[in-house]
Amino acid sequence: MKNRNVTLLMLVLGIVVGTLRCAVTYAQNAPEASEKGKEVYDQSCAHCHGTEGRGDGSAAENLLPRPRDFTRGLYKIRSTESGQLPTDQDLFDIITIGMPGSSMPGWETSLSADDRWEVVAYIKTFYDGFKAGEAPREISLDGKIPYAEQSVETGKGLYVELGCVECHGNIGRGDGTSAPTLTDEWGFQTWPANLAQSWNFRGGADTEAIFKRFIGGIAGSPMPAFEGDSFLHFGLTVEESKRLTELENKDEMTETEEAESEKFYEKMDAAVNLALNRTEGIELTAAEQQTYDDAMQVVYEKSWHLANYVKSLAPEQRPEPAIGKNVLRSQYVQDALPGMEDPVWETLQARHFPLVGQIVIEPRQFNPTIDSVDVKSFYNDTEVAFLFTWDDRTHTIGDETDETTGKPLEDALAIQFPVKVPQGPTAPKPYFLWGGRLPVYLWHWKASTPEQVTELTAKGINAAEVQEAQGALQAQGVYTDGQYKLWVKRALKTDDKKDLQLDPGVFVPIAFSAWDGANGDVDAKRVVSSWYTFVLEPVPSSRRFVYPPLIAILSLGLLFGLRAAVQRRNSVS
Amino acid sequence: MKTYFLASLAILLACYYVGSAFAADSGAGEVEMLVFPDAYSAGSVSNGGTISGVVKFEGDMPEMKVLEITKDQAVCGATEKYDESVVVGEGNALKNTIVYLIDVSKGKDFDKATKLEMDQKGCKFTPHVQIVPVGARLTMLNTDKVNHNVHIFSSINKPVNKQQTKNRRKMPLAGVKKAEGPVSVKCDIHGWMSAWIAYIPHPYFAVTNEKGEFTLEDVPAGTYKLGYWHEACGTNSGSPASVTVEAGGSVTQDFTLKLK
Ligand code: HEC
Ligand code: HEC
Repeated sequence: MKNRNVTLLMLVLGIVVGTLRCAVTYAQNAPEASEKGKEVYDQSCAHCHGTEGRGDGSAAENLLPRPRDFTRGLYKIRSTESGQLPTDQDLFDIITIGMPGSSMPGWETSLSADDRWEVVAYIKTFYDGFKAGEAPREISLDGKIPYAEQSVETGKGLYVELGCVECHGNIGRGDGTSAPTLTDEWGFQTWPANLAQSWNFRGGADTEAIFKRFIGGIAGSPMPAFEGDSFLHFGLTVEESKRLTELENKDEMTETEEAESEKFYEKMDAAVNLALNRTEGIELTAAEQQTYDDAMQVVYEKSWHLANYVKSLAPEQRPEPAIGKNVLRSQYVQDALPGMEDPVWETLQARHFPLVGQIVIEPRQFNPTIDSVDVKSFYNDTEVAFLFTWDDRTHTIGDETDETTGKPLEDALAIQFPVKVPQGPTAPKPYFLWGGRLPVYLWHWKASTPEQVTELTAKGINAAEVQEAQGALQAQGVYTDGQYKLWVKRALKTDDKKDLQLDPGVFVPIAFSAWDGANGDVDAKRVVSSWYTFVLEPVPSSRRFVYPPLIAILSLGLLFGLRAAVQRRNSVS
Repeated sequence: MKTYFLASLAILLACYYVGSAFAADSGAGEVEMLVFPDAYSAGSVSNGGTISGVVKFEGDMPEMKVLEITKDQAVCGATEKYDESVVVGEGNALKNTIVYLIDVSKGKDFDKATKLEMDQKGCKFTPHVQIVPVGARLTMLNTDKVNHNVHIFSSINKPVNKQQTKNRRKMPLAGVKKAEGPVSVKCDIHGWMSAWIAYIPHPYFAVTNEKGEFTLEDVPAGTYKLGYWHEACGTNSGSPASVTVEAGGSVTQDFTLKLK
């Protein structure tokens, strides 16, 4: 808990300084605030969304997705049908909560509810479509089907039937075959959500939110709406649909069967016609409305199953990061260490290491695609084995090259340790970006040579050397369904002075770098973590380690390092 | 949860520090639009005239780029696909040019019998340029048994992005309220698929065929501005051709277009 507070503190510090700087910049050209909404907007939103609401604020350029251009009336997170504008409540909520997985912050703590309502009214003035004042059509949440195994199973079938697979992949990791070629409304590359990491959903991860997202679609993105007649046999009851499928699968139909199926087609055409009338604004008679509602009930039922399935793909919450009580502890086994596919790995709970885009040194990664790496470990008297897993939507093995560096674009992972474990909590650690004065020892794995891990020594992000003595490591890497799994084994002790030597009970700093070739990651352009720690859990464990304060101090050091580096850069440019 | 959120915020703020130093270019080129009359009244036209002509391409013949088929090879990759932004036929005939009357305010009604369809066979939109009367329903065809999403990038009308699954052979789309376009049509699932739809308020529009030919029939006698639009060659909206049609007569007006 303690180190968490410090992390918080450092973040708050960053925010305060950042806000001050922004305030200074914008005070200069702030026009007289005429009304409250405009004032709030100009102060808090314009540097991203632009004074005219065109999404072209001064901070916009490095952000992907770009801050929204409000002049087109395209809103991703709506509780309304496809083609409809959001409700005021939708806008208020998104401004309050923010959009996870993007740079859109939440304003719950920094703007009063009144101010948030004012700014809702103000951003609506950027798009004429709001002027008509028509109430948008909302998606009905009636008849919600509770989460249950059977429902999830039904939903799974719909996930395939409706073609979510094309973009989101077999089990939802955003690795569908269409994923690499998607662009948003403004021509920027965009990726399908990784449904296993629902903490990055823009509009929330609860079942209702998911339900609304695929029924209404996500305007401005390639994610389509799954409206009534996108569903199989819209207009038929479940039984009728079953019967029609049966008929359609027959090699030859008798005359009566032909007539029967013809009836079904007519019924479906009629339902589609009503749906179109409704969209076109033609009022339905009471009888027509009933027919339409009946058809929609079948669709909504299916949709709840699908929403339950999507919900099942992600953990209830993002796992806690591997600090404090969640520090990575390698577990002792007496016998040989398990191989990659050994089921014994299932008995361990993975530790979670969040990764962020590297933005200190050129080339930077402002739009990272790899979220985190999960780690498990066992050791015995002579060796240690690790299992690393991380999600990457594409399997890139260097077939294409980076335009500026000419280097192959390739997925990779590097695991970083200091060469020597710092003695005591105040002893300095190497710089988190591949060392500096103090060197780091690295395991570098690349997707094109999945059975090989190269040992490196580095004194800076661009100063890594392949160690002369190699071969101490065994490795195995596979890619399936949008996820890498890498197994690495090494002796606890080696003869090489440049290698890290491992002893049970000693807390060892560990950090990660990962590259997604398809996202242009190469060299320093990558995702990174700061220093974490791991330990070979001694058996039996009797000693107590007072570790949290150490982490706290180190995090603080990291913050200052980061700030110093950024400032240095700033003064150069 | 909160920690992550704050962390991302902090990183973002760090971006501000360094942000201003980088520049990236953004946005795609604007597509030129058709010009529509403020109002149009439809009625019967007797003894109207005909405007016809041929649109030709001038300049170095652009090579038709072979599209990279990235998925569903069995269906989509069965035949080679080409980028159809410039299709030039024999004698430099330019296909897929819209030719239309800019300033007509009265004339015939739409021919309701015309089938309005756009096919996705082989993961390619056919036709590449489709004109759709305001209010009329365009039917998307899918006979290949693959999933498509029909994504129409309207901005005056409501944009459409709707899944058409492999089982849906015909998917009619709702009619639109206003004249617009041409707007881009895409299938995000098959990123190379591209077409254009123009929502038109009157029937005096034609799309040139592979011989570059167009015909506008039943035009009430009078003098009109004749416009064109082509995806890669742009429009002549700034200086349209002027044509005079006599009752029952026919006039020809050819165009020669260059790349923008
Ligand atoms: C740091 C930059 C930044 C700031 C500051 C910011 N936004 Fe955003 N905002 C974004 C980005 C980026 C998106 C687009 C996210 C996406 O498309 O996934 C966005 C999207 C939105 C959306 C669209 C929501 C939807 O459903 O599509 C609204 C509304 C919005 N912002 C309102 C505001 C308001 C109001 C403020 C000020 C109180 C504000 N934003 C401040 C970056 C910012
Ligand atoms: C054509 C590609 C495509 C298809 C097909 C598709 N999606 Fe998506 N989906 C996306 C993209 C792209 C995003 C990211 C949108 C954004 O935030 O910009 C997304 C985002 C999502 C999200 C996250 C919403 C949020 O709040 O961030 C969910 C949930 C989702 N899709 C579910 C589905 C389901 C269920 C289906 C099938 C019924 C489906 N998608 C079909 C492309 C697709």
